[in-house]
Amino acid sequence: MRLSLRTLISHGRVGRHMGLGPESRINMLRNILTGLVRHERIETVRARADEVRFYAEKLIDYAKKGDTDEKAMKMANFWLTEKDLIPKLFKVLVPRFQNQQGGYTYMARVPNRENLDRAAMAVLEYKGNPFPPLYPVKRENELTLINQLLKGYREDLAQQNTA
Amino acid sequence: MACKTVWQVFQRRLASVAAASRPSSAELMAFRSALFSKERARQQSLYPRTEKIEVGMEGPGLQGTLLIMNRGVSTPHSCARHLTEWHVNSAALALVDGEPWPLHKPLTQSCSLRLLTFRDSDPLLLNQAYWRSGAALLGQVLQNAFEDKFDVELLSVPEVPVTVGAFCCDLVLDPQLESWTPSEEDLRSLTRDAHQLIHKDLPWEPLEVAPAVALEIFSHSRCKQVEVEEKAAQSPRGTVTLYRCGDHVALSGGPHVARTGLCLQYEVTAVHSLGKGQWGLHRRAQGLSLPSQLQAHHTVWRKLRKRAEKMVEVPPTSVSQPVAPPSETNSVSPAPADR
Repeated sequence: MRLSLRTLISHGRVGRHMGLGPESRINMLRNILTGLVRHERIETVRARADEVRFYAEKLIDYAKKGDTDEKAMKMANFWLTEKDLIPKLFKVLVPRFQNQQGGYTYMARVPNRENLDRAAMAVLEYKGNPFPPLYPVKRENELTLINQLLKGYREDLAQQNTA
Repeated sequence: MACKTVWQVFQRRLASVAAASRPSSAELMAFRSALFSKERARQQSLYPRTEKIEVGMEGPGLQGTLLIMNRGVSTPHSCARHLTEWHVNSAALALVDGEPWPLHKPLTQSCSLRLLTFRDSDPLLLNQAYWRSGAALLGQVLQNAFEDKFDVELLSVPEVPVTVGAFCCDLVLDPQLESWTPSEEDLRSLTRDAHQLIHKDLPWEPLEVAPAVALEIFSHSRCKQVEVEEKAAQSPRGTVTLYRCGDHVALSGGPHVARTGLCLQYEVTAVHSLGKGQWGLHRRAQGLSLPSQLQAHHTVWRKLRKRAEKMVEVPPTSVSQPVAPPSETNSVSPAPADR
């Protein structure tokens, strides 16, 4: 009796399996999200960071409704296991992202973990955190020879335009 | 009719006598180069026994590196050769105990050494040295460009800031060339000569000499001797620095970069006439150059080159005239009195 292969092959299926089952997955993501709200920049496995990203942004969207809102408070209460982070969410993170529509997080891929498992790692952070940037902006040195020549050229042009 | 032929014979006789007394440019260069080598050998013989000095390296990634080098023989170039090939190729000037030091000048005592590259956070000293080297190269090209029967006298290289857009070299040509103005083809052939020198990758060998030796080296040229005396009066130790590139020996007001191969883009942009001066019709040759680490895109290069064709105004530094502020040279100035 031939069982359908559809259940065994998962080509093109979205929705990752994590942990021991769906409940375990949610608990794991809850812990990671709590860590993210506490530290604002965390390093995890790439798949978990990718999953948490959706929930992190949804949490901010719920919290934007305000702490008097019933649903928002229930969500914050469920997702943040350490209850001292609930005021931080409503009073620090929400005003920070008040003028933004979405995209409250950055995810940067980092080298694989040093352990035997060599897991692909990623760093997840809320934007506007106090740490130095993940992708530092490299500004060209103003004092190199070619930039000095171009500066003189620009000044010349400006003088010619005003004169 | 008869007196005309007599006059022509007289002129030809005088001209041939004058030409015989003045040596050809090749002989002159060989003479100066030989004296330079002799003086350098004499200065090297001041250290007959090998003595060791400690050179502490400074720079990104080099903290704490201590090199044991030879006194009077090792140069910052040899220190760089102990590090990596990148250090050798990118280092253009050195800072020994905070003092600018040409890369091929021997070290005389234990010191701290820092190698300067064009992409440092503070390359201002190096930019000025590169500008001076470009002007020296221009002077060398012009010295060798003309035929032997034309006399070329190089005057001092004026110190211009880099933002002006071009380095310049003052020179005086033979009175027979008074009405000569360079055409596009002439400038292009001068540029080709410069590129040949760059391709040969000749090092600029520095030598610090007493004024008497410098006066002997430049014994055929009166204006160079005046310049030697001026420089000796200005320098704190009373010595004069000479730089030799290939066969050509020249004076300089400051350090040069290590070698000609560091320049990538080089063009002789213009030769302007400054009017009658102390030694004849003064001319100003201008050029533009960029090193190989800072290559410009051809559109940018074309714009900079067009700007470099304009005449560069240098504030007069002679004692009689009031000293003009050194900052504004190529600024908005109404028609200068020179032209």
